[in-house]
Amino acid sequence: MSQSPSRMLDRWMSAGMLAPALLLVGVLVLIPSVLAVVGSFYEFGITSQNWVFVGLSNYARAMADPVFWTALKNNIFLIIGSIITQVGLGTLFAALLDRGVRRGNTFYRTIIFMPVIISSIAVAFVWILIFDPNVGPLNAVIKGIGLTPPRLGWLGDPNISLYMLLVIAAWQNVGFQMVLVLAGLQAIPKELYEAAALDGAKGWRAFVHITLPGIRNVLMVGTLICIIGGLKVFDLVFVTTGGGPANATQVIGSYTYLQAFTLGNMGYADALSVILLVVALGFGWLQLTLSRRG
Amino acid sequence: MNGRTRLVAIGMHLILTVWTIFVLAPIGLMLISAFKSQAEIFTKPLSLPGSLNLSAFQRAWNIGIGSFMLNSLLVTVLSVAVIITTSGLAAYVLARSEAKVMKWLYILIIASFAIPVQSVLVPLYQMVSGGHMLNSQLGIVLPYAAFGIPFTTVLFYAFFLEFPRELEEAARLDGCSRLQIFFRIVVPLSGPVVASAAIFQAVFNWNEFLLALMMLTEKSVRTLPVGIYGLTTQYSSDWPAIMAALTIATLPLLILFILAQRHFVRSLAGLGK
Repeated sequence: MSQSPSRMLDRWMSAGMLAPALLLVGVLVLIPSVLAVVGSFYEFGITSQNWVFVGLSNYARAMADPVFWTALKNNIFLIIGSIITQVGLGTLFAALLDRGVRRGNTFYRTIIFMPVIISSIAVAFVWILIFDPNVGPLNAVIKGIGLTPPRLGWLGDPNISLYMLLVIAAWQNVGFQMVLVLAGLQAIPKELYEAAALDGAKGWRAFVHITLPGIRNVLMVGTLICIIGGLKVFDLVFVTTGGGPANATQVIGSYTYLQAFTLGNMGYADALSVILLVVALGFGWLQLTLSRRG
Repeated sequence: MNGRTRLVAIGMHLILTVWTIFVLAPIGLMLISAFKSQAEIFTKPLSLPGSLNLSAFQRAWNIGIGSFMLNSLLVTVLSVAVIITTSGLAAYVLARSEAKVMKWLYILIIASFAIPVQSVLVPLYQMVSGGHMLNSQLGIVLPYAAFGIPFTTVLFYAFFLEFPRELEEAARLDGCSRLQIFFRIVVPLSGPVVASAAIFQAVFNWNEFLLALMMLTEKSVRTLPVGIYGLTTQYSSDWPAIMAALTIATLPLLILFILAQRHFVRSLAGLGK
């Protein structure tokens, strides 16, 4: 059966419309991720062309590398910590703006959202100044009220530096979670609350039976954003602590960069990125199945 | 209003006000420090500058903030343009075609959305350097575009699925081709979703650091984030100049945001749906 010329033309046109996007994604996202898997079985340097096949030994090296485990642990710490602080505070502020306060909503929303659009590099440097042991205002305040600041510095003490990163991340991202939840809250029809009030469900019960189910999806999206953000975190760590002190704040992103571009272990860096890729795809798959069910 | 509800209202305002002050304090510190002298930074960390000292801005400008800014602008505009155009075309075909192949291509796009840029650092660097595109605008625009396309395509795809098809059918009967329908009917009615995607990608690429750090090692091609990073390794104790540079880099976007905050917030909040 032959097709009409206009249908043939349509087909070619469709292919032409798809091609640029597919080409870019294929060449610069999909092929590199396959190449990362291939490279993880080799040992090679930044400039050297000598690829030595080493099998799975890059992965074995990761399993035996305490810094890898610290980095992975830090990623997980940042994920859980940012879900608690960012989704938690974001939801609280959104609830206050939606039903609580009647004045100044736009003002609060605008200010709290502001840090979202500031580059994480700028954010990092301002906070380095805040935490600086010599010229930082935080220490000046702490000393002013008669307390002693941490001897090794806020970012230099391995026991607290990771918490400080969490504070900076919350400062920057709570606004995003807030507007996300706010949009979810505003999409709940007001009639639902009125009907529930007639049935005697108010306050806490209305919150549990109407509000929570209504924002369940946005909370899931917000949590997923924290997970992805926590897996991909790089800028903040790289600029504020560089993964130090003594690798205490290293994350997979910064450790991969260190191995690849500072130490020149490209094969090992590939193995680290493949591990990250598997974890990321796992979460992507989880989200897909959860959202299908919901 | 009885006493208890008033107390609750005050409590709620208090919570929001505390966080608002917490958000504003670092931004205020950045602005104030930019006007201080280097001596004032060290001796009076908590006080306002003694005089409106603009020399830090001059030092920051002389280091090349202007050219970093132009580079950022160029890279951002180009990558957003490529992302919006290619994603729009692809998403439209994917949303209108019933062929099995298209479903698979769409799944491939979703899968690539889950691939973080950290997972391809080494191969991407080698491809770009192998193509002699390190330290070139194109060498950074193309990866930015490639990593922006999957998300934007998914966003557009959802929008096109709900787009009324009657208009398109009518145009088809009038003899319009698929490409003509796309540009004459669909594009003019897609303003809000295009604005959403463009704002999101613009903020993201304006601030992108990791790829720029890898690929833009020469000072003349650096974008703002890497430019500022390089500056601080060079002038590590000149806090006023660093804060002035951050102010110059941040203020345009902040002003734009305050003027158009309704669009920003709506666009980013809409992405959660």
